[in-house]
Amino acid sequence: MQRPASRGPDPVGDNPGIGQGILARATGAKGWKDHGLLLWTHFLVPPVLAALVVAAAFATPVVAGILAAAVLAIAAVSARGLLSRLSRTEEARLSLNSQLIQSQKLAAIGELSAGLAHEINNPIAIIAQEAEWAEHVVREAEKNCNADFAEVRDSLREVRAQVDRCKNITHKLLDFARKREPVLQDVDVGRIIEDMARLVDKEAAYKNVTLTRDLPQDLPLLRTDSPLLRQVVLNLMTNALQAVDTGGRIEVSARADDEVMEIRVKDNGCGIEPENLEKIFNPFFTTKPPGQGTGLGLSMCHTLVTGMRGEIFVESKPGQGAAFTVRLPRKT
Amino acid sequence: MDIKILLVDDESDFVETMVKRFGIRKMPIDSAKSGQEALAALETKEYDVIILDVRMPGMDGLQVLKLIRERAPLTEVIMLTGHASLETGMQGMNLGAYDYVLKPADFDDLLDKVRKAFERKELNAKARKQGT
Repeated sequence: MQRPASRGPDPVGDNPGIGQGILARATGAKGWKDHGLLLWTHFLVPPVLAALVVAAAFATPVVAGILAAAVLAIAAVSARGLLSRLSRTEEARLSLNSQLIQSQKLAAIGELSAGLAHEINNPIAIIAQEAEWAEHVVREAEKNCNADFAEVRDSLREVRAQVDRCKNITHKLLDFARKREPVLQDVDVGRIIEDMARLVDKEAAYKNVTLTRDLPQDLPLLRTDSPLLRQVVLNLMTNALQAVDTGGRIEVSARADDEVMEIRVKDNGCGIEPENLEKIFNPFFTTKPPGQGTGLGLSMCHTLVTGMRGEIFVESKPGQGAAFTVRLPRKT
Repeated sequence: MDIKILLVDDESDFVETMVKRFGIRKMPIDSAKSGQEALAALETKEYDVIILDVRMPGMDGLQVLKLIRERAPLTEVIMLTGHASLETGMQGMNLGAYDYVLKPADFDDLLDKVRKAFERKELNAKARKQGT
């Protein structure tokens, strides 16, 4: 059944947000007004036709029979159309809902870990100071008593090394929980990607990984926060580099339409297990062996992109690599 | 408006060339040969943009960056590095560097980044003023 054309000004004109954009894309509808007209048609056409049948029944039963069959068919098609439209809307709503829950969950975890980091920071600083003081006392004692406390010194050094490790983690956590109000400038996204890719190039070559760029020449400028964007791009590329084996491939691309700028980092590495897809942006989630990486990179990307009013998502099949996509709104 | 720039690098040849090149464009810049010198300079003058070498004897660039961000949070820092190391690049950006530039840097490119960094600093200062 043909969708009735909407009248008046273009309903997209009132600038739907990203969420509405997804809903619209998923349902093929342009806006609420469009839905209204559609519903009117769905609900009014069958009864009007039924009334015609009743009128015809007073004239000749044969015509009424034919008309009744036709009305039934039209009503069935109309109901089916409505049903499929409704289920598509429902699906889109559910996916939007889960996205919302996901980002709320991440925000909550972020806040919790920042609070924790803040509380732990002070005791850690005191432990570091005391260890330093103890080292000093031991050295003095060695000088005065002419004894060798090498083992004590070793142990104190280890205490300090581990405390430093803790400090690094708490600092990272506090750092990314700090709300940074984005500073908006006109940014050449292609340039930023190229700059950051150059940083990755050498390490990629060392691992025999090809890092290709697909950046259109006519990419428009984007009003966004350039250091934040650099951080996101660099993090995603580093993440991809860690995911691929020797001889792997990483593709970085960017494209823009009227509403969004899309940056994509795709690799042909080990991919992500389906059960891990949901957790991939959680702070501290990592599949790397303990001690390598804190699992904060991607969650930081999520925080930064959300702060820039954009969205980030991942697609992956195990063994077939992964693709991270960042979508940033072009209208500020 | 004049941009107050400080260049921190232990390679004196590089510093001399840069001072000259900025000078030609009527943009006088100050220079420091080490992190300590840079921090001392920061005590006496407010800079808009600091161009900071990552690898220096004594205090390394990342340490200096951390201290600059604490002492002069509005000042933007562009990191310069001869060795493309991902790890330090990530650390630098996480610590709040404006940009991370590989040596040898194209001068016009660097100039463009300095201007953008300055624009950002001004925007930040304005936002802060309105906030209080």
